[in-house]
Amino acid sequence: MEVKKRNPVQKINSTTQIIEALEKYHYVADEEFATTLFLLLKLQKPLLLEGPPGVGKTEIALVLSQLLNTKLIRLQCYEGLDINSAVYEWNYQKQLLGIKLQEDTNLSVEEKEHHIFSNEYLLRRPLLQSIMEEEKAPVLLIDELDRSDEEFEAFLLELLSVFQISIPELGTIRAKYKPYVILTSNRTRELSDALKRRCLYHWIGYPSLEKEMLIVKKRVPGIEQHLLQQVVAHVQAFRQQKLAKTPGVSETIDWAESLIALGHREVNAKSFEQTLGSVLKSIEDINQAKVEFFETG
Amino acid sequence: MNFLKPVNAIKQTGILRINQSMKQQAFQTKSISESIVAFSQFARSHGFNVGIQETQEGLCCAKEGLLTNRESFKYSLKAIFCKSPEERLVFEKLFLLFWDTNPADLKETKSKISVQGTLNKRKVASLVMLGRGKTEITKEEGKNVSGANETERLKRTDFSKLSQMDTELLEEIAQKMFKQLALRLNRRMKECRRKGQISLRRTIRRSIGYGGEPIDLFRRSQKPKKQRLVVLLDVSGSMDKYSYFLLRFICALRENFRQLEAFVFSTSLIRISKTIRKSRLDYVLNIISEQADNWSSGTRIGECIHEFNEKYGKLLLNGSPIVLVLSDGLDTGDPALLGKEMIKLQRRARKIIWLNPLKGMKGYTPTAGGMKAALPSVDSFHNAHNLESLLELENILADA
Repeated sequence: MEVKKRNPVQKINSTTQIIEALEKYHYVADEEFATTLFLLLKLQKPLLLEGPPGVGKTEIALVLSQLLNTKLIRLQCYEGLDINSAVYEWNYQKQLLGIKLQEDTNLSVEEKEHHIFSNEYLLRRPLLQSIMEEEKAPVLLIDELDRSDEEFEAFLLELLSVFQISIPELGTIRAKYKPYVILTSNRTRELSDALKRRCLYHWIGYPSLEKEMLIVKKRVPGIEQHLLQQVVAHVQAFRQQKLAKTPGVSETIDWAESLIALGHREVNAKSFEQTLGSVLKSIEDINQAKVEFFETG
Repeated sequence: MNFLKPVNAIKQTGILRINQSMKQQAFQTKSISESIVAFSQFARSHGFNVGIQETQEGLCCAKEGLLTNRESFKYSLKAIFCKSPEERLVFEKLFLLFWDTNPADLKETKSKISVQGTLNKRKVASLVMLGRGKTEITKEEGKNVSGANETERLKRTDFSKLSQMDTELLEEIAQKMFKQLALRLNRRMKECRRKGQISLRRTIRRSIGYGGEPIDLFRRSQKPKKQRLVVLLDVSGSMDKYSYFLLRFICALRENFRQLEAFVFSTSLIRISKTIRKSRLDYVLNIISEQADNWSSGTRIGECIHEFNEKYGKLLLNGSPIVLVLSDGLDTGDPALLGKEMIKLQRRARKIIWLNPLKGMKGYTPTAGGMKAALPSVDSFHNAHNLESLLELENILADA
């Protein structure tokens, strides 16, 4: 491997250090998750995170990039995502202009071609960016991979094993620093076994009451204990019900924030009705929750 | 270093014979690295997809100092070995079983080690369903009869009225036809190359030769979007005669719709998407019949659709797929529930196509309670009683 050793990682030597470091950035991780992250740093293997929406899958990439003091490069996947928007594209407008400017010069066709297919005319999309980083290894977040097509997954497979990209007009570009790759998936479809084999795997589920309180407290520092307890208990109860959209931790945080913003100090009938929209996102759910709230008092 | 104890224990008790089989456990190994290798073999023998690379990485973890704490050692192996939430559950048990088994306990139960939830070898299921009981008798005779007229006749014959001999023959024809259907659907999607955006990349490249004038225009058509399809197949008693062909039909569709999700239902719902990816149909049938203890029993369509909406709706109805329901609509459950659930389903699907084998019968009207309740939310309602009507679906799907 010609890929150089990465410096900041050397400072982290145990999982407890990771937990502490993450805590500084308001991210609560348990021992198991910290171990997985530790392996991501040590084994330089991509990490595949699965779990319901809103439990901090995307967030960890952001936090990790802050922790390592490096760049976060994000690729959001969607159906129909192609190489042009994920890897690279030529800047056609500029190329057309370039050709016009060269018209009166005495350059040969080959020279002209060489010129307009140079770095200057290349638009770097996230994947190419991530392997062209000059300073230090970036964090590459490939978000909601399950939404992309299988062809793209196959391409990714190649990239994740060799960390190089071939551009016919330019040649092969190799990563100077291998990026830390985090892939997330909501399991709307099963990812291929081949891709899974190249990754570490971790499942993030909904947190327990205690853990969720800890998280909300970290993210909303000003919150009072009584309100915190009420909010988290309510959300935990919502998750037990059959709802169209089960709220994640991010919704809990949103709810807590909106309650505080409106100056409420506890969840009562009025504040409940006012702010329910920030935690439940469908009218059926909201109605159901209201009925249950007033029945149980 | 709790888990190292068994290794010491073995030295003390003097059992030094090491069993080289796959089921080796921690106490049978001599060094920690040997234990890790043995553990990965152990995991593999229980259905985990653990290769040499994973084993190596496991050893790497030990080197990185994760070995000093039992929990972090477990977590790191878990991250490397497991690839799904289900595997993560099984892993916990495997880990315990491997590292914590005491040789003293093992003497009597040695042969009985098994872990719940592992991938056992498939038992050979007896298949007395789908109307294809005894097949051997008329095999030879069946092959003699063929020809264009015969094919045409069979294509129009109701599945439920097929004789044993005809079933064989029709199967052959069906296979051919379904293959063509898949191919044609594909081709239809690939047409219309002339339209689409100009591909600047190729155009510019070519224009250099002409001094920068884009003389040859290259176009790039929109990549045809691959439709997602969700199929719900009724396998209740009343559908018995049809289910086999319909299942085969689903397998044919699979080749065209790469994101095909399939379910069978009667009194409960079973997801078979993964199973039908296997190429051999009889194997597929075996597995499905093994999973389903309720083949050819009563139908509760409403409850099954409810279960689908609850359990899979959020996952599979994203991006509005086409939903294909294959059922005769003879529901023993509550029609009101079916109606309600169908409305829910319709709201998130692009289109609901209902294929009903009974519709092919003369004088059939959808008056059965279930069918009547479901019909308002069905976008297109067709018959599916013979091969020809199934092939019709090609046009319906191509338009969607």
